[in-house]
Amino acid sequence: MTTASPLPSNFSATSTLPPGATAPSSLPFIPQYSFPPFFTLQPVASTRSSQLSSWSTHIQSYCQHNRIFSLTLVDALNTPLFHNAQIHRRLNLRDAKVILAWMASAEGGNRAEFISTSTTKSKKAASGEEDGGKCWIYWRRPEEWAAALEEWVDRTGQKGTVLTLYEIVEGDASLKEEFWNMDEDLLRKSLAVCVRRGKAQIFGGEGSEGVKFF
Amino acid sequence: MFLHQLDLTTALRPSLLPEETLLFVQDAVGLYEGKFKIPQYQHGQAYLTSHRTCYVDHNEPRKNSVAIYLKDVEKTEFYAGFLKSSAKITLYPKPLKQLTRGTPLSTTPGSPTTGTPPRHSSPAPAPQQSATWVCPICSFSNPVPSNFDPALASRTPIPPCLACGIKPPTVHVVKAAIAGMSNRPPPGPPPKDTKSGSSVPTPLANGMVSCPRCTLENHPSLSMCEICGAPLATAVDRRLDVARDISRPESPAPSLTPATQSATPECIKISFRQGGEKIFHERLKNALVQRKWLLQSAPPIPKPRPASGTFEDSYSAKFREASVEVERPRVVGIAGLERRGLEQRQNNEAMIGSAFEDLEALMTSAKEIIALAEQFASQANLGTNGNSEASALASQSATALSLVTTKDMLGTGSGSESLYVSELSRNLAEWLTDDTRSVLRKEGGIMTLVDLWAVFNRARGGVELVSPTDFEKAARMWDTLKLPVRLRQFKSGLLVVQGRDRTDEKTIASLLAWLKGLHQELPVTDVTWDWQLYGRGVTAQETAERFGWSVGVATEELEMAEEAGALCREQGLDGIRFWENWLVNTPP
Repeated sequence: MTTASPLPSNFSATSTLPPGATAPSSLPFIPQYSFPPFFTLQPVASTRSSQLSSWSTHIQSYCQHNRIFSLTLVDALNTPLFHNAQIHRRLNLRDAKVILAWMASAEGGNRAEFISTSTTKSKKAASGEEDGGKCWIYWRRPEEWAAALEEWVDRTGQKGTVLTLYEIVEGDASLKEEFWNMDEDLLRKSLAVCVRRGKAQIFGGEGSEGVKFF
Repeated sequence: MFLHQLDLTTALRPSLLPEETLLFVQDAVGLYEGKFKIPQYQHGQAYLTSHRTCYVDHNEPRKNSVAIYLKDVEKTEFYAGFLKSSAKITLYPKPLKQLTRGTPLSTTPGSPTTGTPPRHSSPAPAPQQSATWVCPICSFSNPVPSNFDPALASRTPIPPCLACGIKPPTVHVVKAAIAGMSNRPPPGPPPKDTKSGSSVPTPLANGMVSCPRCTLENHPSLSMCEICGAPLATAVDRRLDVARDISRPESPAPSLTPATQSATPECIKISFRQGGEKIFHERLKNALVQRKWLLQSAPPIPKPRPASGTFEDSYSAKFREASVEVERPRVVGIAGLERRGLEQRQNNEAMIGSAFEDLEALMTSAKEIIALAEQFASQANLGTNGNSEASALASQSATALSLVTTKDMLGTGSGSESLYVSELSRNLAEWLTDDTRSVLRKEGGIMTLVDLWAVFNRARGGVELVSPTDFEKAARMWDTLKLPVRLRQFKSGLLVVQGRDRTDEKTIASLLAWLKGLHQELPVTDVTWDWQLYGRGVTAQETAERFGWSVGVATEELEMAEEAGALCREQGLDGIRFWENWLVNTPP
C-alpha cells in the first residue's frame, strides 16, 4: 500500500470536480456551521455528542461535495472545512483531532480512519496521535463503495471483463459516477471488500492490477 | 385569657412586637397546666422576650405555639427538680379582672391611637403628676416633668432638685418615671420601688380626700395636696375613666371572648428537660422587674419640631401646662426653614451630647441615637449623591440591634451548641427573608455564602460576630428546619444562598428569555454571524450585570444552565461566551 497517493488530495475543489458534478457555488454547509459556538468543543456530554455528529455530517457532506477522500488535518485547518472565514471562527487542531477520532470510533459510525504513516499495517493509528493526522473520510464506507462498484459494473454490463483500476477511476465510462477520481488506495480497499465477498478477483502485480467482477 | 395565640415568623420563631427584644432561648421544654401536662405542648422551645414568654412547639409549630404576656404574670416560682422530675418555672396569672383589662393594650401594640393613654387626648389643665423622684442628696421628692419620656431621657433636660439644686443622675429619674407610668392604670398593685404618688387618694367619709403622701385631708376639688403638692387625682381620674371607657371599645381585642376567659388556668409551668432553667428564671425575673412593655404604651416620641420648641420651657416644670401645645412663633418662608434647621441641629447636638455623657445614658437613648445615625446617613447620602451602599450598610447596622441570637442567650444544656446553631439558622433565614432589608433581592436573589457571612457580621455592627464554622453549620440546617431559604452547592464547590422558591428551571428560563431578547437587539459591535437567527453570546460579566449577581454566581449559573443543555459555550480570545444551545436544537 503506497502512502503517497498520486491523486491530488488537496481541496482545490474546482480542479478535481468532474464536469457533470453539481455546481460548486452552493456549498452544502449545515446551519450550525455559521453558529460561533460550533467551533468550540462543548464540555457537556449531551451537547457534545450532538455537536460531534453535526461535525461528522458537516465533514462528510463537505468532502462528498468536494470529492475529498482523505484529509491531512494540518492543511485542512485553513480550508473552509474547519475555518469559517465569514464569522472568523476556526477549529483548532486538537479539537479537530478529537472530532475525527470520534468519527473513527464505532460511536461515530466509523466514518473516518486515521492513516498510519510509520507502520503501515498497524491499526493503532485510530488514536490520532501521530503528527501528520492524515485520515480517510468515509463519506462512503469501503463496503458502500464496493456495493456502488458492483452496481455500476452490473448496470454497465461489464461483468466478466477485466478492468484496470485506472479505467475505473479515470475512465470515461465512470465519469458520472461518484467514485470517479477516487483515491487509488481507497479503491483498492473497496475492491478488497468485493474480493472478500467473492464478487471480484484482482489480477496482476503492483501498479498494474486488473479486476474482474463476476 | 392567659395563653395567647403566638404569631410565628417565616423561620418559625416568635415574631417580636415592636420594641420587644429576645432575652433567652431554651429547647426541650414542656408545658404544664396546674399539675398536669398539656398534651401536644411537651416538646418545644421556650423563648423569653422582654414582653412575653413563648412556647414554640417542635413538631407542630404553627398549631401548638402559645405566648404568655409577662404583664399578665402575677408572680413566678422556681422548682429546681428532684430525681426524675425536671426543673420547672411556674407562672401565676394575675386575677382575671386585671388580665382582661390589660389585654386590649397589649394586643394592639402597633396602633398608636390605642397605645397612647387617653390622658394626652384630653387637655387636662393640670396634668396629673403621678411620678416623683427622690433627690439622692436631700431626699426631697421632686415631681418628674410631665413631658419627661423615659425613652427620650437624654433629650429632655432634667431640672435640678427643687430643694437643693443638685442635678439628679438620668437613670434615677428614668426609673422613677417608669415606676410612675406603671401606676397609671389605677387598679394595678403598687410597685414596691416607688416611693410616693402610688396609691389612689382615698375619698373619706366627710368628702375630703386624704393625700397619699402626707395624709393631709384636702378638699375634694383640689387636684394637688395643699402641703406637699402630691397629686390628688380623683377629679382628673374620674374624667379619665370616662375617656378610657370611650376609647376601649375602639381597640380590637379579638382573642378576648367571654367563653375563653373562664379558661384562665390556675398556673402554667414550664418544664425544662435539658437544663437552662436557672438562667431562664433569672432573666424572667429581670424582665418582670424591668417591665419593658410599659414603654410600649408610653406616649409616642414627640417630633423633633415641637420638642425643640419646648426646649427652654421644660426647665421649669411649673409651666408645664404650656408645654404640650407650645405656641411657637409662626415664621414662614426661608426664615422659617432656616429656623427649623437650626432648631433641629441644636436638638441633635443636645441629644448626642447628653447621650455620650456616660454609658447608661447611652443605653437609655440607644434608639434615639440610632435613628439619628440613620438620618445622618441619609443626609450624607443626599449630599454626596451616590455611595448608596455605604449608607445602606449604615442603616443595616443600625437596624441590626434586632439581630440577636447570641451564645449567652442560650441555655447550658447538652444540646446548647446545636440549639445555638439552629437558632442562628432561623435567625439568618428571617434576616434574609425580611422584606424591609431585602438582602437577597438586592443580590439578584442569590448570593454566595461568604458574601452573606460578611454582610451578616457587618450588620451585627462588630459585636457578637458569628464564626464561619457556625455560620456554615447554620446554613446547612435550613433544609432540615424547612426554612424558606436554601443553601446550594455548585459543581465547583461554591456555596450560595437563595430562596427556596428559586429553582434551576426558573433561572434557566430567565436566562433563556434574556438571550431570546437579544435576537431583536442590534449588537453593539459589528458581528459577522446572523444575530437575528442566533442572537449572541454573553459573558459571565454581562450576566452578572444583567441579573445583579456576582460574577462568580453568574458563572456558576451559566454553567448550570449549560449542564442542563440549555446553553452552550464558545471559547474565544476574550473568554467564554454562552449561547443558546443551537447545537442540540435546530435554529428557529
